[in-house]
Amino acid sequence: MHFRIKSVWRKGVVLPEKPKLKFLNKVPNFKKAKKEMKRLRDIQGPANGANTFTSGQYAIVAMGGGYLEWGHMEMIRLTINRRLDQNTTFASWRINAPYKPITRKGLGKRMGGGKGAIDYYVTPVKCGRFIVEVGGYVELGEVEAVLTQVAKKLPFPAKVVSRESLAAMHQEQAEKEANNQNPWTFQRIVRSNMLGIRKVISPFDIRNHGRYTGKFFNPDRV
Amino acid sequence: MAATLCSRIFLTKTGWLPLAQSVRHGSKAVTRHRKPVHFLKQKLLAITEYDPPKQAFPHGALAPPTKKAKQESGLERLLKKEVETTFRECKMLAVVQNNASNSEDMLLLRHRLFKHDISIKRFPNEIMRSFLPNSRYKNLLPLFIGQTIMFVSKEPKVKEMLRVLRSSPQMILLGGCIENTLLSQQGILNYSKLPSISTVHGELVGGLTLMTSQTVSMLQRHPAHLSALLQQYIKQMQPADTPESTM
Repeated sequence: MHFRIKSVWRKGVVLPEKPKLKFLNKVPNFKKAKKEMKRLRDIQGPANGANTFTSGQYAIVAMGGGYLEWGHMEMIRLTINRRLDQNTTFASWRINAPYKPITRKGLGKRMGGGKGAIDYYVTPVKCGRFIVEVGGYVELGEVEAVLTQVAKKLPFPAKVVSRESLAAMHQEQAEKEANNQNPWTFQRIVRSNMLGIRKVISPFDIRNHGRYTGKFFNPDRV
Repeated sequence: MAATLCSRIFLTKTGWLPLAQSVRHGSKAVTRHRKPVHFLKQKLLAITEYDPPKQAFPHGALAPPTKKAKQESGLERLLKKEVETTFRECKMLAVVQNNASNSEDMLLLRHRLFKHDISIKRFPNEIMRSFLPNSRYKNLLPLFIGQTIMFVSKEPKVKEMLRVLRSSPQMILLGGCIENTLLSQQGILNYSKLPSISTVHGELVGGLTLMTSQTVSMLQRHPAHLSALLQQYIKQMQPADTPESTM
């Protein structure tokens, strides 16, 4: 018999009505689908939104940028829903259904002749964004296995994180910045344009302190 | 994929830009692969790496942290009380080592012992080690090493217990405390060979009344036998007197 002393559990745990991950559409319902530019900057850099916990306790965090396709979302949904115990756990999406159209030209076609037709839709994900949040009357150890299994299959490096571990990560980064013994920091040299280094540094690098290169994230940089 | 493009930019405002600008087309900013980093940027990244603060002492030089005194948990206290009551109430206590007996064997053993009112008790060795030195059963300490089980009973039924133990060869008797005397394995065997109290009583009584019972049997026989015996006795006494009188 599955028995948990719920009164002892931490406060603030509220199970929603539908604890399972809902189905996300492959194609958004437009009347007329418009082709969009590539706009790769939606993958570049750190995430501004959906990078903190809302209702759950454990989450999968993206540690790099990338596009999530419908196939990935189905995989996530099916794996997590299969392992959820509806009476004790719930999961929720932190990403939207695919909305960005990706076009492809037909196979073997030459260059030119206009933009290709829309092939599929994706959701852009930046580094630091939450993908799925899980919560309920569970400990990390029970949930970690499923979430790592899912995290390994994502197209970008991802990490399983709890509220405490995320706070610890931020804390560690702040401490590193504070107790860095090296007097020469990236920001110091680039902002004052020492050695004319601005010639090879982009404004994006300055904004992100040199930690982000394209869609990649370098956690070792301070 | 590097192509050089020269374009003319016409100025509408004041200020100037060079008339021809070369724009290199390489890969975009966001690529699937890690782009090759410009050499100067590589140097910059190498210079500005994280430098952790050095510790004043090497890691092992400082004194190790003191271990916290282990608090006694409720279970331990409960078990200690149980051990105390067992030692107080039971007259017979045998410490037995059990080597790999499965539950079936244990069940049979328990059944056989239960018929003689002997119960099997098992306590963790740590509890015994913490309890025994403070009581008067200090010398039982060396017995509680490895897998040990105690057979306890209120009445000292040693013979039955040994008979039961003989049937299960994996149980080895180590020693015990019977009626407030610590006994080793040999001691327990000897104790079992002792006759029961009623027999001992009988023997004692018999030994004390040996003379009187003999006299009674003699008197019950024919008086001629008794007179013959008495005459013989006098004759025996006389030769003893005459050598003494002549001397």
